[in-house]
Amino acid sequence: MAAIESSPRHEEGMSNGMLGFILFLASEVMFFGGLFAAYFIARADAQEWPPVNLLTEEQIAAGVQLEMHVGLPAIATAILITSSIVIQWAEFQIKKGNQAGLIWGLFITLAMGVIFLAMQMYDYAQLDFGAGDTIYGTTFYTLTGFHGAHVFGGAVFILIVLLRALGGQFSAQRHEAVRACSIYWHFVDVVWIALFTILYIVPE
Amino acid sequence: MRRYGIRKTIRSVATIGIAGAASLFAYSSAFAAFGQPGGVTDEARDMHNLYLVTLAIAAVVFLAVQGALIYIIIRYRRGKREDMPAQIHGSNIVEFIWVGIPVAIVLALFTYTVIVLNTVERGADEDDMSVHVQGFQFGWEFTYSMDNLGPERSEAGSDEEFSIVGAGLDSPELVIPVDERVEFQLQSDDVIHSFYVVDFLYKLDLVPGRDNRFAVTPRETGVYQGYCAELCGVDHALMRFTVRVVEQDEFDDWVEEMRGGGEEAVSGASDTTSAVREP
Amino acid sequence: MATVAAPGTQAYARPALLDWLTTVDHKKLGILYLYFTMFFFAVGGILALLVRTQLAVADSSFVSNNAYNQIFTMHASAMLFLFIIPVWAGFGNYLVPLQIGAADMAFPRINALSFWLLPPAGILMFAGFLVEGGSANAGWTAYSPLAQQSGSGMDLWIISVIILGVSSTIGAANFMVTMFRMRAPGMTMFRMPIFCWTMLVTAVLQLLATPVLAAALTMLFIDRNFGGAFFDPNTGGNAILWQNIFWFYSHPAVYIMILPGMGIISEIIPVFSRKPLFGYKAFVFATMAIGGLGFSVWAHHMFTTGAVLLPFFSFMTFLIGVPTGVKIFNWLGTMWRGSITFTTPMLFGIGFVSMFLIGGINGMFSAVVPIDFAIHDTYFVVAHIHYVLFGGSVMAVFGGFYYWFPKIWGRKLNETLGKWHFGLMLIGFNLAFFPMHLLGLDGMPRRIATYSESGWEALNFASTVGSFLIGVSMIPFLIAVVAAFMRPKDQPDDPWEANTLEWGTTSPPPVYNFDELPEVRSERPLFDRRHPDLAGGGH
Ligand code: HEA
Ligand code: HEA
Ligand code: CUA
Ligand SMILES: [Cu+2]
Repeated sequence: MAAIESSPRHEEGMSNGMLGFILFLASEVMFFGGLFAAYFIARADAQEWPPVNLLTEEQIAAGVQLEMHVGLPAIATAILITSSIVIQWAEFQIKKGNQAGLIWGLFITLAMGVIFLAMQMYDYAQLDFGAGDTIYGTTFYTLTGFHGAHVFGGAVFILIVLLRALGGQFSAQRHEAVRACSIYWHFVDVVWIALFTILYIVPE
Repeated sequence: MRRYGIRKTIRSVATIGIAGAASLFAYSSAFAAFGQPGGVTDEARDMHNLYLVTLAIAAVVFLAVQGALIYIIIRYRRGKREDMPAQIHGSNIVEFIWVGIPVAIVLALFTYTVIVLNTVERGADEDDMSVHVQGFQFGWEFTYSMDNLGPERSEAGSDEEFSIVGAGLDSPELVIPVDERVEFQLQSDDVIHSFYVVDFLYKLDLVPGRDNRFAVTPRETGVYQGYCAELCGVDHALMRFTVRVVEQDEFDDWVEEMRGGGEEAVSGASDTTSAVREP
Repeated sequence: MATVAAPGTQAYARPALLDWLTTVDHKKLGILYLYFTMFFFAVGGILALLVRTQLAVADSSFVSNNAYNQIFTMHASAMLFLFIIPVWAGFGNYLVPLQIGAADMAFPRINALSFWLLPPAGILMFAGFLVEGGSANAGWTAYSPLAQQSGSGMDLWIISVIILGVSSTIGAANFMVTMFRMRAPGMTMFRMPIFCWTMLVTAVLQLLATPVLAAALTMLFIDRNFGGAFFDPNTGGNAILWQNIFWFYSHPAVYIMILPGMGIISEIIPVFSRKPLFGYKAFVFATMAIGGLGFSVWAHHMFTTGAVLLPFFSFMTFLIGVPTGVKIFNWLGTMWRGSITFTTPMLFGIGFVSMFLIGGINGMFSAVVPIDFAIHDTYFVVAHIHYVLFGGSVMAVFGGFYYWFPKIWGRKLNETLGKWHFGLMLIGFNLAFFPMHLLGLDGMPRRIATYSESGWEALNFASTVGSFLIGVSMIPFLIAVVAAFMRPKDQPDDPWEANTLEWGTTSPPPVYNFDELPEVRSERPLFDRRHPDLAGGGH
């Protein structure tokens, strides 16, 4: 479209695309901020946490238990953090012009992302409470669910970048998509660390 | 001053002038009746005074700025002049002045606001009379319990209660004694409502899951109109009620009547209320 | 530098309709935005007239209570989400690249996406009238738990508003990048036209606040459809949470709705006073201050919930009056000792200053918490809403229309009709909304489908008459538009002797905007070119 520029681009620093992408991330931060706020307010209101006092007779009879199992998610967390390191490594490789390193790095990151999602699904299946079981269930599934959706989005992003990498589209000089992709993946990772901390580590 | 092109200019100025004057007139004629009711409780009277002060400040700010605007557009209209006016880009001193004056006004008004706020939000004492107000879609239930009727009337430990219920056009009436501090305990289990008595100059929401209360000391007997002020569904508009402030002995008689009457008194009460209209 | 010639537009024949549907040109998208939003202004206005008809007399049964709730909810939703917020994106789209001397927005395709999200959102929202239970009916504020009770029209409303939020968020990022990156040589940040500055601050507000609304709407959707407990106190939720999150967005949103309007006025007033904007930098800083403070006052909508820190939010709200005052005074300072002509755009500019002043001052009444206890949720607040949004934003929309019409369409709107439009609208407006102050003080709650107090009838009737007069005032406007389109494009580049770059190209501009860019050495490049002797002294 804009075949002719009427104004010089300020080529120093980041490109327009990257700036736009970072602004987009800022809006994502605000979105999660809203969801986190809901969680903290629920915590502040609660007499006890998990709020077992709020369970109805029927829920108890149906076997609802407001309990989390930390083991599996802890492993998933470790995987996600590692994957963040891997994608950063991949980015360093392409900076050095190492195409193969990039491809392998992206591939491993993608695999780890998929494993993370699978583990999250499995974890959901394990739990004895649902999204409707008190504010505990609602906040848990909403926060982790939206995070999961972002992991999925990130995985798709990685897949696209991977395919482009296989097509040899990146070089030591031109690899902005890789940078954007890794920044996004770090963002998803950081959100998860925050989530894991508040949901699993400090539940009392 | 400038003689040329006056006719055309006048016509344009007239457009704004007339409309400006119309709104100015509306504003100032309204000023006399710029009608907040005076308020019938101690708290409302404080709030009304604050309102009058705010109104005075607002009027001064409005007249000064609007006046300046009208003056400027008349004084500096172009007419047939073709010369360029001096290109003034701004002035830091002037900017500081017109930041400073509003800041001063704002600080003063805020201080007064906090003072009034503290008296209004003081709340009730331990043994003040209280009425429980339950809002529901679309009506009200006012419950009096005998161990909560103020220092003179309370029967400590009594669990005797009576209520007045009304919904829709059959609006209920809440009765309280004059010159006594009364606390309203507001509660709702469905959606948010808001307890608004116009002459108290006050409203407070009934929020599911919250225990909201406020206290007032009414100083004038009479019947005052109340509304639900928070959109709560189809018949929100019909969620009206009245508050009747009566002499203290009249209130005592009323309480006796209500206690004796039990269920009947409840319906009897709503009968009388539907007969009562606005003050 | 741009050298592409304009006449090439028709070089290859593409069906005009397809061209409009697939365009990524910022000017065409801007025009599409303007058509779309003006359509919804009419729709929202007609709904408003239904409201006024119902309220004209006491105990009226023109519409049912249930229908009434839907009508005023959709009136506000259309006016805010489908008219006033996107209309600025329309003006911004058309003008920002031109004013900073760029060929297009930074991301033309994303720009097209921002626009094309609107029509489906508009359709979804209004499809509510067709589903069982009717459209959304809990007010534009959709307070929970009430919003849990509405029918599926509410879900459509939620989805629609989320889509609109996405549109406005990505649009905001686009505007920001455009203004940060694509300015013409010589155009420093502090030489950008004021309208661009207000669009920039607006974009920041949109980028940071709109996602929070999306989060709130998501929670509401989950509560309504998946048994969530966010806002239900019985299962550990919090009924006030909705209000906190909603207003965290919606207070900044009211500045999203006014700042670009202030920008437009700040373009118009200097041109027709033949003076530079008084205190350009002060104006920019005031805009930033309003944007910043805007994030710290949201709970002034919640003074009567008993759940917020009253003095803090009162104080911050008070403070917002100060930078707003700076702007009003700067406009006065601009006109002072100027050489004022009363063209139609200028009339709307003056009308804005005058009417927004009233709206701002009565907003300050609500900041005084004990006064708000009385006037909250009464017609006093409805008066405030319309003095700022109609007396402010809508005045600016029309001012901008008359001002840029020659640039956008190459024709001028008839001045006499314009003055009739302005005069009738101003009188109708004051007649419609001034009485609401008195009704509110006298205790008339807002959002009531009907009332029985005979004492309120006269004022309500006056208000209804006024609102129809506003409707009538649209007739000269529409005639002027139709008449203009029947004339040839005869407008010169710069019919108003204006200041900013968009007037340095043809009317309408060629596809890539500029054949040649004027030199930029101050915030008024065209003025400098016209008056080399007076140039300088700016920034
Ligand atoms: C364009 C939109 C717009 C704008 C610009 C504003 C501007 C302001 N608003 Fe308004 N507001 C709304 C749109 C807007 N508002 C809407 C839609 C609602 C209702 C929502 C709903 O419930 O449906 C609302 C509701 C609303 C409330 C809640 C009322 C209630 O529900 O009880 C409050 C409370 O404080 C408030 C305050 C203010 C203030 C202080 C300003 C200030 O920014 C005004 C500042 C301007 C001036 C003060 C005038 C100029 C200044 C001077 C001349 C300097 C001298 C001044 C002083 C010394 C003070 N607004
Ligand atoms: C930009 C915002 C905006 C605008 C422009 C308006 C414009 C108008 N508003 Fe609105 N209003 C709101 C935003 C706005 N409003 C909001 C946010 C609320 C709060 C809602 C809530 O409580 O949830 C509200 C609420 C509200 C109420 C209170 C409802 C209640 O609480 O019960 C009323 C009552 O009179 C009202 C009236 C009007 C009127 C008469 C106009 C008029 O100015 C309209 C004038 C326009 C026209 C008359 C249309 C012009 C017609 C054409 C251009 C085309 C003509 C074509 C044909 C006829 C075919 N509005
Ligand atoms: Cu209850 Cu409105
Ligand atoms: Cu606000």
